[in-house]
Amino acid sequence: MDAAIETDRLSKRYGASRGIEDVSLTVERGEVFGFLGPNGAGKTTTIRTLLGLLHPTSGSARILGRDSRRDSRAIRARIGNLPGDFSFEERMTGRDVLELFAALRGRDDLGLAPALALRFNADLSRPLRELSRGNRQKIGLIQALFHEPELLVLDEPTSGLDPLMQEEFEAVVREHRDAGGTVFLSSHDLAEVERVCDRVGIVRDGRLIAVEKVAAMRERAYRHVMVRFAGELPRSLLSGVPGVELPERDETTLRFRIRGEIDPVIKALATHRVEDLEITRPTLEELFLAYYGAQS
Amino acid sequence: MSTIAPQRRVAGAGAEDDVGGGGGAAILSAPAWPRSLAALVCHGLRQQRRAMLAWGIGFGAFGALMAAIWPSVEDSMTQLVDSYPAGLKEAFGIGQLDTVERYIDAEMLSVIVPLGLAFFAVRCIAQATVGAEDRGHLDTLLSLPVARRIVVIAAVAVTGLAVAAILGLTWALTWIAALLAGSGASATTLAAGFANVWPLAMAFAGLAALLAGLAHRPPTVTYVASATLVAMYAIDLVGKLAPAVESLRTISAFRYYGSAVQNGLDASHIAGLTLGALVLTAIGAVLFERRDVL
Repeated sequence: MDAAIETDRLSKRYGASRGIEDVSLTVERGEVFGFLGPNGAGKTTTIRTLLGLLHPTSGSARILGRDSRRDSRAIRARIGNLPGDFSFEERMTGRDVLELFAALRGRDDLGLAPALALRFNADLSRPLRELSRGNRQKIGLIQALFHEPELLVLDEPTSGLDPLMQEEFEAVVREHRDAGGTVFLSSHDLAEVERVCDRVGIVRDGRLIAVEKVAAMRERAYRHVMVRFAGELPRSLLSGVPGVELPERDETTLRFRIRGEIDPVIKALATHRVEDLEITRPTLEELFLAYYGAQS
Repeated sequence: MSTIAPQRRVAGAGAEDDVGGGGGAAILSAPAWPRSLAALVCHGLRQQRRAMLAWGIGFGAFGALMAAIWPSVEDSMTQLVDSYPAGLKEAFGIGQLDTVERYIDAEMLSVIVPLGLAFFAVRCIAQATVGAEDRGHLDTLLSLPVARRIVVIAAVAVTGLAVAAILGLTWALTWIAALLAGSGASATTLAAGFANVWPLAMAFAGLAALLAGLAHRPPTVTYVASATLVAMYAIDLVGKLAPAVESLRTISAFRYYGSAVQNGLDASHIAGLTLGALVLTAIGAVLFERRDVL
């Protein structure tokens, strides 16, 4: 079976400005693929080129086995898309929007929309202009999902959603994948991508710099740890504990990075009285530096 | 609760672009284009309903006022018109103001309604195309299986219907007022006068559609089309006043507008303007299909 998305050196330039350059990637059917990068990295340009909103300067893309330019309309019938900043006619209610979109998809019903509205706690009766950004985003998610598409293309899907709705969204994504669907989602949130994606492509300055399984990325990724002890810092603490890097210490505080399992660290720390413990993930910038370091 | 189950099925009757595959299972496919067009036109008319009412009632009230005051100004009009210079009368198409229809023709249909509705048509097209692009709505709309050319064609169709509705409402209010005031207006003569505006307005709708295929920003489309509208009106006016530049009038859409109240509807001019609108729309739709949506 063809891949869900297959790009070959896909490039898009805006005059002299960079868009994306030589993006080649394959998203298999049935996987959740995260497209990770900071704002302005080229995530949205890639998505908009795949959807036919932008015409590539060079290279090609195939979606669900069909040419993204020549067969754009047939492709769009089979996908659900949430644009980066979902918006539509402000006077229309969520239900009006869904009824119009159903008609434009050739449907006589709203499909999964009522059930999804319940799950996302979305109010379909209010005009879009009266909805908060998060509530508008829910309508955007419903319109992307209601027709049960094979492929979901979601640009920053959880932006504006509260944590409960983010969890619900992640559950929906997993259900979609478990039912055989494919998800391509862009995000600048590393933690979100780690939670829901099977594989991740990392994009920076318009170039795809890495594609990895999330599990491998997790292995490669480190966390920052800060521990403050009640008394003076024990001298030999953490020596010999695997994965501990770059320890820095003052009288009562220890800072270090940990790769891989954190359990041995916790067990070592537990032998002393700990006043405070903080574990943070690297920022995207740090992650990119780690990748660049590995590449060089 | 699990609600999600991606399907591979045909979405509607008359579907196009159906693709085999997936172990023989049917897949979601795009609806036939007339269905998309009908849905977009219904949507567009709903979006324009307030504007249609506002413009129709506005022009209608103006027409009603003209029709209502006609009995009291009728006698002084002939003297007034006689005092105008011949060139001025020709330039503004003022013949004898001896009937209420001719009075309404001079007051409304020579300048205000054609310029106003041509501008309305430009705004309609700009809102539905580059305006939607500017507001980010086109990204959402074009995520659906809708061809871009259908978006342009629907915009022009909605504009055509909206302009017709405004003209119809204006005609109805004017005629009813004339009837109540005892002005003795002919419904068919007035109807011809108002109907004559439609092809002119649609020619500028076509121009806006062409510009939407070239530009990305609503002000660009609106300003360029409006400037062309005013320039064409000025060329036609100057051409009437100055015989030396009369030949320039051929490039002005107003040259083919004339006065249906005084001379009846000119089928060749109506056909020419309408054909021009269709050609401009077709070119605009092709350009819109080929360009990036930013």
